[in-house]
Amino acid sequence: MRATFRWARADLRGRRGQALLTIGVVAGVVAALILATMLLEGAVNPWKGLFARTHGADMMAYLSYERTSGAPVSTAPLAHLPDVVRMAAPHPFSPATIDTSTGEPRIQLTAMPAKLSSLSMSVPLVVAGTWLTAAKPAGIVIEASFASSIGVGVGQPVTVQSADGKPVRLTVVGLADSTDQGFYPQATPGQVWVQQSVLKRVEPSKSEWEEVVDFRLANASAIASSQVFQAIYDAYPTSTGASVVQRFTTAQQVEDSMASDDRLLGLLLGLFGIIALVAAPCAIANVTAGRLLMHRQDLAMLKALGFTPGQVVRMLLAEQTGLGVVGALLGVALARVITSPQFIHPPDGTTIGLAPFPGSWVALIAAGTVLTVALATAIPAWWAGRVSPVAAVQASPPRGHLSQIARLGLLVHLPAALVLGARDSLSRRLPSLLTVFGLAIPLMMITVALSCWTTIDGFSGDPARIGLPAALVVPVPASGMTSHQLKALLGRVGTPYPDANLPPTPLPGDNGTFTALAVGTSRGQGRYPFQVVQGNPYDAPDQAVAGQGFLSLMHLSVGDLTLISVDGVNVTVKITGRILDADYNGDVLAFGMDTLGTYGGPQPPGAYDVVLRPGLSPAAARADLLRWTNNQLVVSMVANPADSLGIVRVVIAISVVVLAVIGLASLLTATAIGLRDHRHETGVLAALGLTPRQVIATLVVNTTILTAIGVSLGVFLGLAVAPRLINMQGQNSGMGAGIATVPSSLMLAAIFVVSLLVTTLAAVLMARRTMRMTDSAAHLRSPARRPTRTSIS
Amino acid sequence: MSRSASNSLPTTDLLKTRGLVKEYHSDGVSVEAVRGVDIGVGIGEFVAIMGPSGSGKSTLLHVLGGLERASRGEIWLRGQRVDKLSLAEWAVLRRKHVGFVFQFFNLLSNMTVADNVELPALLAGVTPRQARRRREELLSDLGLSEKAAASPARLSGGEQQRVALARALANEPSLLLADEPTGNLDSSNTRDVLRLLQRTHDRGQAILLVTHDARVASMADRVINLFDGMVADDHPVTRIPRPVSSVLELHGL
Repeated sequence: MRATFRWARADLRGRRGQALLTIGVVAGVVAALILATMLLEGAVNPWKGLFARTHGADMMAYLSYERTSGAPVSTAPLAHLPDVVRMAAPHPFSPATIDTSTGEPRIQLTAMPAKLSSLSMSVPLVVAGTWLTAAKPAGIVIEASFASSIGVGVGQPVTVQSADGKPVRLTVVGLADSTDQGFYPQATPGQVWVQQSVLKRVEPSKSEWEEVVDFRLANASAIASSQVFQAIYDAYPTSTGASVVQRFTTAQQVEDSMASDDRLLGLLLGLFGIIALVAAPCAIANVTAGRLLMHRQDLAMLKALGFTPGQVVRMLLAEQTGLGVVGALLGVALARVITSPQFIHPPDGTTIGLAPFPGSWVALIAAGTVLTVALATAIPAWWAGRVSPVAAVQASPPRGHLSQIARLGLLVHLPAALVLGARDSLSRRLPSLLTVFGLAIPLMMITVALSCWTTIDGFSGDPARIGLPAALVVPVPASGMTSHQLKALLGRVGTPYPDANLPPTPLPGDNGTFTALAVGTSRGQGRYPFQVVQGNPYDAPDQAVAGQGFLSLMHLSVGDLTLISVDGVNVTVKITGRILDADYNGDVLAFGMDTLGTYGGPQPPGAYDVVLRPGLSPAAARADLLRWTNNQLVVSMVANPADSLGIVRVVIAISVVVLAVIGLASLLTATAIGLRDHRHETGVLAALGLTPRQVIATLVVNTTILTAIGVSLGVFLGLAVAPRLINMQGQNSGMGAGIATVPSSLMLAAIFVVSLLVTTLAAVLMARRTMRMTDSAAHLRSPARRPTRTSIS
Repeated sequence: MSRSASNSLPTTDLLKTRGLVKEYHSDGVSVEAVRGVDIGVGIGEFVAIMGPSGSGKSTLLHVLGGLERASRGEIWLRGQRVDKLSLAEWAVLRRKHVGFVFQFFNLLSNMTVADNVELPALLAGVTPRQARRRREELLSDLGLSEKAAASPARLSGGEQQRVALARALANEPSLLLADEPTGNLDSSNTRDVLRLLQRTHDRGQAILLVTHDARVASMADRVINLFDGMVADDHPVTRIPRPVSSVLELHGL
C-alpha cells in the first residue's frame, strides 16, 4: 500500500501535464453534462428553475381594495389559515396599458419595494439592467418575455396609462423573470413592476387598486390548495356576494402554462446524453491508455521489483479514479460558477430557464463520470498488469522494415521525412489505432452536433423546408373587404392560398384530434407548396398528404385510403405523400379546398396563407399590409419552431467545445507517445544524415497522417450517423423524417484543415522541444526507453 | 518422477535447476533459447555466466528470476520448487529473496533516487522509517547520500548503476541476479560497481552474474559457459588472492 502510494505520488508529480489533461477532460465532461441537462431541462420546463430562483409562491390571491374608502383590505385573517406556512406582505397593483409601436397591451402595474432582499417570496429575478432604485423613482422593470414581445429593452422610455389616468413616462431600468404567471403572450396581462409612488401617479384612484398576496403552503397539491381557496373566501364574509377575493393562481397553473410541449427539445437532451456517454469514456480510455503506453517500461520495472499484476491493476485504477474524482469535483464547481446568474445572461431578455438541479442528480452525474473513468481505465490497467517484466530490460529485435511502397517512395526521391514518417504511422499499430480512434470519436460527435446546428439553421433560414412556406396568415375580415379583394391585396406581397380554416377534427373513435388543412387547389398552379418528403403531392380532389403524426395515429402509410369526417362532411382520400409539418406535431391531413367542395363542404376561404415574395421579410410584409389597410386587417406571422431552439444552439456550442477539448487531449497524448517512442530514433535518424529539420518533419508527418486518418474517419462516421439520428428525432417528434441537413462541405473542410493545423503546430512545438532537450549523440548513448524499431534497412 | 518426490528434492543449493528449457514461438517456428540447463548456486556463492551473444545468458537469468516463465524443467529456490509459481507468487518471492540489476539500470524515471531505493523495502512491508534508514545506509555505503533527492536522469551512468544496486539490495536478498551490470559503464565506474558486488558477496549474499567480460567473470567463484542455450562448461575460478582493483588495473581497465 505504501509502495503503491509512493509510486502514484511520484508518478503524478512527474507527469503533471498528463494528469491535468485527465482532470481537465473529466471536469469538462461533468460540467458540460450538468450544464446541458440544466439548460435543456430548463427549456422543456422553465418553471422549475425560475420557481426555485425566484422563491416562487405556492399560491397567489388577488384581493380588491375597499371600493368606497380606497383602503387596502386587511390580510391579517389569512395569516393563520390551516396549511398556510407563511404569507408574504401584500403588493398593491393596478391594471393599466403600455404604449408600444404595435398597440397598447394591457399590463399589471405592481408596486414593489426598492430592496429585493426585503421580499421572502415571488422575488423577481433580474436578468438585464437593475432592479428599481430609490435614486431612479421613474424607473420601471418589465417581465422579460413581455419585454421581448413588445420589443422594449433596458434604457428605453415607455409610457403607461391607466383607464382614467394621464399617460406617465417612465424609463425601463431592468428586465426580470417571475413565476407569478406564465410567459407572455400565453399569459396576460404583461407584468410590470414600479415603486409605489409611480403606481400612485399612474392610477391616483386607490379604489381601483388591488393587492396580491403570496402564500407558502404546507401542501401544494391541488386538493390542499382548493381547501385554502375556500378558507380565504370564508375569511371575508360578504352579504352582497361581491367578495374582495378576485381570483387565485397556483404554482401548478403557472407551471402548466410555462411547460413547453416541444418534444424535440426533450429528445435533444437524450442525444447529448448519448454524446457524452460515448465520447467521455472513449476520451478517458484514450488518455489513460496513452499514459500507460508511455509507462510501459516503468510498469515492467515495477513488476520486476515485485509488484504483483493485481497490485499494478489496482494502483492504476486507484490513481486514475483519484484523478477522475478531482476532475468531477472541479466539473461540479465549474458548472456551479457557469450557471450562476452572473454568467448566464439571457441575451436581449430572452428567457433562459435553468432547471434547478437536485444535489442527488449532480452527485449521480459526477459519480457516473468517475465510474466511467474507472471502467475506461480497467482495460488499459488490465493490459498493464499483463506487461511482462522483461519489457523493462529486453530490447525486442528490430521489427520495422521498409515496405515496398516506402522503398519506391525513396527511390523516386520523395522527401525522406515523408516516407519515414508515413512508414512509422502505419507500422506502430497500437499507438496508431489509439490516435485514430481517439480523434475519430470526438470528430464524429462534433459532426453530429454541427449537423443538428445546420438543421436548425435550415429551419430558420428556409422555413419552407420544414413545411412552413407561408409566412403570414390573414383571416378574411367579416366586413369591409371581400375575399377577392383581399386576395388581390395579398398578391402584392406574395402568393396567397385560400385556407378553409377548419377547426380541429376529432379522430375516429374520439381519441384526440388532428388538423385538417384544406388549402389552395388540389392541382395546378394554386396547389399549396407542401414539403413532401415521401411519395408525391396530391394531384386530384380525392387525394391528400399527411404528416408523420397523423400517419402514426391512424396506423396508415403513404398510398392508403382513409375516410374522415371533416366539418361534418365525410371525405375519402388517398394519401399520396408524407409532408414535413412543424405546426401541429405532424398530426395533420392536408388537401385542396376543392376536395371539400366535391363533397359539398365549405367553399369560401376563411383565411389566406401567404407565401411571400423572395427577399421580403414577414415583418415588412405585415407592416405594408397593415399600412395599406389602415390597420383593418389581422395579419399574423407564422411562428417558426426553430426560433425556440436557440437554447439548443447554446448546448451544441458547449458540446462542440468539450468535444474539441477531448479531441485535443487525445491529440496531445498521441503526440507525446509518438515523441517518446522516437527519442531514440531521432538520434539514429540524425546519425543517418537527416538534418534536425528533417527529423522534426519525420515526427510531424507521422502525427499529421494519423490525424488526417482519424479526422476523416470521424467526419465520415458523423455524416453517416447524423442524418439518421436527426431524422429519427424528427419522426419521434411528429415532424417527420427528412429534416436533416448535413454541414456544408466548406465547414467540413474547415474542420479538417483546423484539425491538421493544430496537430502540426502541436507536433512541431513538442518535437522542437524534444530535440532541444537532448542532443542526438546522447540518444545513441542512452539506453532505448522502449523496444527500438529503428532498423530501416 | 512423481510430484511429491520432486517437491522433497534434498539440496543444499540456494538455487538449482534441472532440465530447464525456455522456448519462444515466432511466426510458427519455435526456438529454444535455453536448452536443458542444469545448474546450481550455493548459499553465498558468486557465479558468473558467460557466453557469446545469443547464447541464452540473459534469458536464463530472466527465467531464474521469474521475469519469464520456463517452458519445461524445474527451478528450486531456497529448497522450494518455484517454476510452477504464478506471476503474482513470483513477484512476492522477488520482493524478499531476489534482487535484480540490469545493464541499462532501469531506474524508475519519475521517482527520486531515494524513492527508487526505498520502494522495494516499502513493497516488502517495511515501515517508512525503517525503509528510510536502510536507504540512508545503502546510499551512504555507495557514496550517493548527496544525490538522494536527485532525479535518476541527472546522474551519471555509474551513479545510476550504483543506485540500481542499492535498490536491488534494499531487502538484503539472498540471491542477486545481475545482467551485464558493467556492460554500459566506463572503466572507473566498472571498478566501483565490481567493488560493491564483491562487498555484497563478502556479506554472504549469492550472486549470479551474466557478463561478456572474462575479467569481470574472474571475480566469481565459478564460471558457467553457455553456448546455444546449453551449459558448455562449468568450472571454479582459480586465482591468486588479490584485490579486485589491482586485477583490473593490471588489465588496463
